[in-house]
Amino acid sequence: MLAQQIVNGLMLGAIYMLMAVAFTLAIGVLNFLNFSLPGLFMLGGMLAYGFITLGFPVIFAFAAALAAAALVSLLVERFAYRPMQGGDPEVPLVSSLGFLVLLENLMLIYFGSDQQAFPALVPDLNLRFGGLVIGIAQLGSLVLSVLLVLWLSWFLSSTSTGRCIRTVAESRDTAVLMGIDTGRLVPLLFIASALLAAIAGLLFAVNYQQVSPFMGEGVGFKGVAAMIVGGMGSIWGAVLGGLLIGLAEVLSITFIGADVVNITVYGLLLLILIVRPQGLIGRPATREKL
Amino acid sequence: MSGYLTGVLVVLAFNVMAAYAVYLPLAAGQLNLGIAGFMAIGAYASAFLTNEYAWPMWAAIPVGSALAGLTGLVIGIPVLRTHGIYLAMATFALGQVISAIFLNLEVVGGAAGYPVSDYVGPNGVFLAAAGVVVLMLYLSRTRFALYLTAVKSDPTVADLLGVSVRGIQVAAFALGAAVAGFGGAFYAHHYNFVEAQHFNVLLSVFTVLYVLFGGTQTVWGPLVGAAFFTLAPELLRASDQWRYALFAIFIIVFMAIRPEGLVTTSLLRFRRRKNTDGAAAASSEAA
Amino acid sequence: MTAALSIQGLTKSFAGVRAIRDLSFEVPKGVTTALIGPNGAGKTTVFNLVSGVYGVDAGTITVNGVDVTHMPSRKRIGTGIARSFQNIRLMAHLTVLENMLVGQHVRNASLGALLTPYRLFPNHRWKVEAREALAESGLEAWADETVGALPYGVRKRIDLVRATLAGASLLMLDEPAAGLNPSETNALREHLKVLMGKGITLLVVEHDMHFVNSICQNVVVLNFGEKIAEGPLSKVRQDQKVREAYIGSEEA
Repeated sequence: MLAQQIVNGLMLGAIYMLMAVAFTLAIGVLNFLNFSLPGLFMLGGMLAYGFITLGFPVIFAFAAALAAAALVSLLVERFAYRPMQGGDPEVPLVSSLGFLVLLENLMLIYFGSDQQAFPALVPDLNLRFGGLVIGIAQLGSLVLSVLLVLWLSWFLSSTSTGRCIRTVAESRDTAVLMGIDTGRLVPLLFIASALLAAIAGLLFAVNYQQVSPFMGEGVGFKGVAAMIVGGMGSIWGAVLGGLLIGLAEVLSITFIGADVVNITVYGLLLLILIVRPQGLIGRPATREKL
Repeated sequence: MSGYLTGVLVVLAFNVMAAYAVYLPLAAGQLNLGIAGFMAIGAYASAFLTNEYAWPMWAAIPVGSALAGLTGLVIGIPVLRTHGIYLAMATFALGQVISAIFLNLEVVGGAAGYPVSDYVGPNGVFLAAAGVVVLMLYLSRTRFALYLTAVKSDPTVADLLGVSVRGIQVAAFALGAAVAGFGGAFYAHHYNFVEAQHFNVLLSVFTVLYVLFGGTQTVWGPLVGAAFFTLAPELLRASDQWRYALFAIFIIVFMAIRPEGLVTTSLLRFRRRKNTDGAAAASSEAA
Repeated sequence: MTAALSIQGLTKSFAGVRAIRDLSFEVPKGVTTALIGPNGAGKTTVFNLVSGVYGVDAGTITVNGVDVTHMPSRKRIGTGIARSFQNIRLMAHLTVLENMLVGQHVRNASLGALLTPYRLFPNHRWKVEAREALAESGLEAWADETVGALPYGVRKRIDLVRATLAGASLLMLDEPAAGLNPSETNALREHLKVLMGKGITLLVVEHDMHFVNSICQNVVVLNFGEKIAEGPLSKVRQDQKVREAYIGSEEA
């Protein structure tokens, strides 16, 4: 029973992990808490559902949903991020929330507010190890998520573009002085984080076989929590945080009850913020110079 | 006044109180994304005291407000050690935890909600909101408001000039929480029903949205922001299902054009100067 | 008579690098003192240690006879020490007058003062006092402007006036003449002389040696965080170590 719940927790955690990595890219490099990401998560699931119901092949539906999310993310960059440079840090946050509300309501207008049943795309096969039952879709999602994060981590540490991104994360000014073209990198980062969020949305839809215009909120906010628990700006922090939050959620539903999920998950976040604000894996901030 | 108009104005009054609860800490540079939690404390506390102990409302409402403020004070002290996005997320988590606790408290009805017996009419709500606005106007004329901006603008220098940065921040946070609790208590008694689900993240987030829309540089910003956010969707009612989408587009475009919000210090100063210039011209003509 | 500022054995490292080592000097009351040295010698670090922006690793700092070494930075202004900033630190969203009011805080720190609605009174004594201080420096015309948009020279002087409003007996000025044109520098010199006439002790970090020569009676020379010479400028100038320290740098 416990082992089975741990497996389920890790599966859910993989989704949170992808969301947390998406948030951490935006925060760590651009210092932007991008609240449109839950909207892009939802867009991934909802649009894939929409294209499939219109009769498109599944692969095409997935690709179209991802492309749409990337495109919307570029709009977020143009209207929520770019005009706000040098202003109060809360303002881009508000604009990105505006995008979340916009996306949710556009989907609401088209699909209605009800939960829609996402078709079962993966045969309902289960693997059994001893007493453990693991669905093929679950396992596939977990493997895909882990591979994505591994690839991203490799990309950031081993390619020249990755090194440029890390330089921007260290100091925007230094990056500009070194001749790094931030005008090209920033949209790239927006696309990358949008794709991560939308893939998480697709995996969620495939795994739990349901989509709705508001599916992004709960998952998105827990993704933020996961990012902070692990340590903002750190990919491995996001991985650790995602898995922890997933476990905390599943275990508290199983052993205490569904209504206490927010107490355990956000209580954990609050505790971390008070005891160790930089997160489990993260560097503490230093005091400014005069 | 028609029932519809009264209903809209009551919502406006609640939004104004919530807006100032967010504004106070925000003026000191602290984003509170958990304001709904503090409203819930005020609402449940006042409801509980009137229902179970037959307290009169004039005693229960201030106690509810004070409890929310006290929670803000006790939790604000450790939480305000964090800054920026960390603080925003800590308050966000706090709001979630508080409303989840009420969701699980069977003594106040749990997930089924909690009926409240004592009723406050629309005029009482208007009076409460007016009281909050007057208090804010008063504070905006004091050194306290000056230090809020100073602490936001340059905490290091404010500290070296002897201003207790932590003290100002905790005070702003706790006072904001008390204002939220005050509004929450009136909410409970006006609608005669509270449920934890009402005090959710989106309530907190939307409040922040209209405070930033109105602008945090002056004390008028939150009032204007709350008024616009309450009334504009009503005016857009004709295009019913599109109204929130249109509204969101408007917010995005507006913030891109005017990130400092609608009402700014320079806007007010410009108006004042025009007035005094006009007065000077009039007096010279008279002479 | 106790010194306005007394520093004994001051030591500070950043990430293992010694920024200040075993530094000792005194600023007697009424003796305008300059802290000079090549770039990176640790002059601003001394200011930051004295005002409490950083904690010390070793040594003691005494202001007007009060040991402030481990006093929280916020409380040090109460011992009679105030400072200006190398890269002017004014509150950009406040007006000039409001910046002055923040400067007065330490003398009006009660809860009653905090909650007095002074803005309702056009001639409240705080405003009058702040306007007078601005007028002394010829800055009264800017009183109601927002600080952010003002010219550099004006902001520089506002930073100085704000420091004086704390009522401090010891002022630490970090490069007060940097970036000023000759007439602004003259105005600054006159202003500082007025302050000295009021009995305020000045400790100045400055690169302009003519300026130092015209107002300072004593000079402390730092290099690599150590004191290499001390005395009147004319004497210090002849010092071999000082000459070596400055070789190759434009202040020689």
